[in-house]
Amino acid sequence: MVLVSHLLALGLYGLATAFAVAPFAGLRPAPRALTLGAPLAGAAVHVVGVAQLTPVGVAPVLSILALFLVLLQVVSERVFRASAVALFTGPLATGLVALALLIGLGPEARPVVGGGRWSLLHITISILGLALLALAFIAAALYLLQFRELKSKRFGQVFRLFPPLERLDRLNHLSLVMGFPTVTLGVLLGFGVRYAGGVPVDAAQIVWGMLTWLVLGWAVGVRVVRHWAGRRAAFASIAGFVAVVLVYLALKLAAPGTERFL
Amino acid sequence: MSIAVVGVNHRTAPLEVRERFAHAPREVPAALARVLSAGAGGGVLLSTCNRTEFYLAEPGDAIPATVWAILTERLSEGRSASEYGYLVRDRDAVRHLYRVSAGLDSMILGESQIQGQVREAWETSRSQAGPVLHRLFQSALLVGARVRSETALAAGAASAPSAAVALAGKIFNRLAGRAALVLGAGDMAELAANCLASEGVRVTLVANRTYERARAVAEELGARALTLDEAWEHFASADIVLTSTAAPHAVVTWERVAPAIGRRGGRPLCILDLAVPRDVEPAVGQLENVFLYDIDDLQAVAANAATERHHEVPAAERIVSDEVERFWAWYGGLAAVPVLKEFRGRLDDMRAAELERALKRLAHLSPEDRAQVEQFSHALLNKFLHHPTIALKQAAQAGRGYGLLESLKKLFGLERLDDT
Repeated sequence: MVLVSHLLALGLYGLATAFAVAPFAGLRPAPRALTLGAPLAGAAVHVVGVAQLTPVGVAPVLSILALFLVLLQVVSERVFRASAVALFTGPLATGLVALALLIGLGPEARPVVGGGRWSLLHITISILGLALLALAFIAAALYLLQFRELKSKRFGQVFRLFPPLERLDRLNHLSLVMGFPTVTLGVLLGFGVRYAGGVPVDAAQIVWGMLTWLVLGWAVGVRVVRHWAGRRAAFASIAGFVAVVLVYLALKLAAPGTERFL
Repeated sequence: MSIAVVGVNHRTAPLEVRERFAHAPREVPAALARVLSAGAGGGVLLSTCNRTEFYLAEPGDAIPATVWAILTERLSEGRSASEYGYLVRDRDAVRHLYRVSAGLDSMILGESQIQGQVREAWETSRSQAGPVLHRLFQSALLVGARVRSETALAAGAASAPSAAVALAGKIFNRLAGRAALVLGAGDMAELAANCLASEGVRVTLVANRTYERARAVAEELGARALTLDEAWEHFASADIVLTSTAAPHAVVTWERVAPAIGRRGGRPLCILDLAVPRDVEPAVGQLENVFLYDIDDLQAVAANAATERHHEVPAAERIVSDEVERFWAWYGGLAAVPVLKEFRGRLDDMRAAELERALKRLAHLSPEDRAQVEQFSHALLNKFLHHPTIALKQAAQAGRGYGLLESLKKLFGLERLDDT
């Protein structure tokens, strides 16, 4: 069931990606019902699969991250009319699910040790925070692309199909502002699970968790306290997200293996 | 039965002629009254800056001449309106209106203003339109809406003022409530300012070299007047700056506006320079979060949109063709109704006459038996007529009824219908 739902989700996310890319390839845009319906249907079957996963190991985390990204994509499209977000989230979610399937999901995953529901909550909330940081990165990247088109007076597909700059800036701002308390809660729950629940936590997990929290805190700080906006804020979001990903990869290279996320 | 359109448009007549033919709404009833009194069954007059067209129901051969006479009266001596115009009949007339309503016949392909103008023309002429044109204009509005929703014919900004709105709309989340500063008080600036105002932009300041001219335009736009030297400070607060002065050199220089722009705190500023020669020094566009566009840029945006729109023409034409056939089926069915009515009436008269004659010979029948015989005659007639009636209606609705109706008229002596 885990495998079937993930394969179905993979197909639907692939379809959603095709719908997102089609207008940039000069094809007629798909109706809104399809551009929203395909990722939502994918998310629905994906939830069925994720519900049966034990969120330990790289593959389940990637799968849950993909699910959150797709849900955030749908929200962005509904609330911000930012359908271009799907240009990033579509391939990213498809790739993450494919990678999770390649690594191997399901039966071999170990049960959550100690902490039980708190541990599960810590993992889920932390992944949601990471997805929000990724959405801030995507909004920032879209902002910079549209900024470049507008400044260089190229009135092509990006100009026509990307949302206005100000809207992308707001999406970036909102993602950071929502992401920071989410990651903070995730980190606090992590400490709770370790010290109150007695669950063993590796140093790598603490380093990466704290780094993500600090990066998000800095990005939110410069936006809210120092009132950065526009291009400067976009660069800050991108730098922060890239740092988080690079440090994860470095830690993973230091301690390879797919049975643990870190 | 027929439909025709008689008129001129931007392809057949120069602006100077179209201006003369243009009818204000208050002039429409009188013009249509003349056409109706000449024998037309109904009329609608569509008059815009790009076209003046009389749509006519039941136009005899003399009616187009009446329309040309009405229009010729507006020309100087020695010229005839028919030199500039066209007469299109029946299916082609229906197609013509549908194309007009869809924006396929507009100067700017796919422009949407024409839809409102078609609606206004229909509403102004409603009491003189008659049922056929009433239905035709209703369907034309639906065709326009269908083309706009099912194709991208109206997508993008295909004119310079709408390109200005599109560019500003790619910077700001919402244009409504944005503050605009207008430099220069010429017609171009006023036109673009009105275009932005229609999107909810507040034109708050108008600056000009001469204060009096600035005040005149500012009053029209509900803004405050300034001199040019007072305007530079307001680059710190405005969201959109429109410039269209008649200055022979750049008046908006880096030195004049950079300090004010530096106080914006990273908020974007959209500068639309509509002047030739340009009013804004290119260096201003290099400032962070300043988006500077000149008239060439606006035209490039408009040209891109126009190219995209041309790709949508085949799809839009298909919708028009489908809808023409649909209307013509209804209209053809309408043509069959009086013939069928006369046909039935004629046969019923024959039935009644023969029944009367037979009953005279059957005087011994009881009243009940006489009623039975009469009932039988009705049933027999209905049986005979059922299949031909259905076949004729179906053929007429499919647009193939003309031959059958003509045959019916000849076979049963119904030609007098043509005279009526």
